[in-house]
Amino acid sequence: MIKRALGGLIALLLIAGAISVITPQNSIAGEIQEYTPNISAEEYEKRYNEFYGDATKKMAEEGNPAEMLLDDGKALFQKVDGSKGKSCASCHGQNGEKLKGAATTYPKYNAGIKGIITLPVQINRCRENQMGAKPWKYDTPDIVAVELFVKSLSNGMPIKISIDGPAKPFYEAGKKMYYTRLGQWNWNCAICHIKYSGHKTRANILSTNRHHADHWPTYRMAWQSTGTIQRRIINDCIKNMRVDKLPEYESEDIRNLEFYLTYQANGLPIQVPGLRF
Amino acid sequence: MAEVGKIRIKLPQGIKKGEVIPVKALITHPMETGLRKDKAGKPIPAYYINDVKVYYGNDLVSSMEWTIAISADPFMTFYVKADKAAPLKIVYKDNKGGTFEDTVQINPQ
Ligand code: HEC
Ligand code: HEC
Repeated sequence: MIKRALGGLIALLLIAGAISVITPQNSIAGEIQEYTPNISAEEYEKRYNEFYGDATKKMAEEGNPAEMLLDDGKALFQKVDGSKGKSCASCHGQNGEKLKGAATTYPKYNAGIKGIITLPVQINRCRENQMGAKPWKYDTPDIVAVELFVKSLSNGMPIKISIDGPAKPFYEAGKKMYYTRLGQWNWNCAICHIKYSGHKTRANILSTNRHHADHWPTYRMAWQSTGTIQRRIINDCIKNMRVDKLPEYESEDIRNLEFYLTYQANGLPIQVPGLRF
Repeated sequence: MAEVGKIRIKLPQGIKKGEVIPVKALITHPMETGLRKDKAGKPIPAYYINDVKVYYGNDLVSSMEWTIAISADPFMTFYVKADKAAPLKIVYKDNKGGTFEDTVQINPQ
């Protein structure tokens, strides 16, 4: 208990000033008040580079453990499963040729589910409807491996999320989530990743959300494994915000949030597998 | 963890004779430090790989002493001069007496 309180105190000190200038509000109701970063883009770059240098880049050059998972993903893609005697490769090409570029538009609006469909959800739909196979549990090694393989087919290609037409309300809902205050700390995503980006917390520099969605699935050292953007959001950030009941993987709020976040990365090349601390 | 000791070794494609190549290897292992406790507060015993040897043909080309500071499912990259057609073997040993090994063939062109 004391340790927890102390942890809280330290966290408060680390984002010194943050709490005092923001009055808690319920951002679900009414217009979203967008934040702007506290520091200039140049200052952010400077701090980010000073802190990280090229450590992750250097490590990635030496290899990324997720490469092995990528191989698993390809093997699973080619493996027959389910009652219809098919593999993903039966329909999408032996090496997934027909899915080249497909990942650049995900998550996207899907009229069938009248909402946002993410890659893992699409993969599970294909398993159920096209293969007669059991859907995978989200964020477990098999589905992460296949997602990684499918995404790797779009490596280097720019993300191009469309938020037009029927997708628009879901983008707005995702943005609302991003600004919704949650948990014991009464924080929202935007405080850390927009307003205070470039400041230090949790032994990290808070990053801007521009680069949050271009590199998943990612091997994270803290996890000692490879996971999805949703694991990062739910099991790290939302948990750290001290929310009692964590949201489910692929629940509507989380899909909308991922949609909002991926749109922020529009134009950036997909680079998987990622590597982070 | 059902697959403790599962090893994957990855070589680059199209190896040329005499070329220095990166070899990547991953072994599935919990690498328990012995410093953690389970939910009931009982210490989880240490369980980690502490000895790794790499053979290229008959030569021992690398020997490593690992400790609890290495992550679960350890991944490593090392470099070998591919100067002969020969098997490359990696042998991992852990503190509970487990031995795990895997071999790939290096065939420089
Ligand atoms: C029997 C054929 C069939 C099989 C097998 C199949 N799919 Fe599909 N897949 C489709 C069809 C048809 C679509 C079009 C969208 C839809 O109906 O869901 C599709 C859509 C997709 C998309 C989205 C493509 C885009 O451009 O938006 C992805 C990604 C995908 N499948 C991945 C997979 C994976 C991974 C597997 C294996 C787990 C798989 N599919 C198995 C037929 C198949
Ligand atoms: C208390 C501050 C804080 C809050 C609030 C917070 N995060 Fe984070 N987040 C972090 C820190 C620290 C990291 C790790 C360093 C970094 O990349 O910013 C991180 C990392 C991330 C990453 C991974 C970035 C990458 O490139 O690997 C994503 C995605 C993310 N956060 C999304 C969210 C979302 C969505 C929310 C709201 C539900 C949120 N965060 C709320 C502190 C926060």
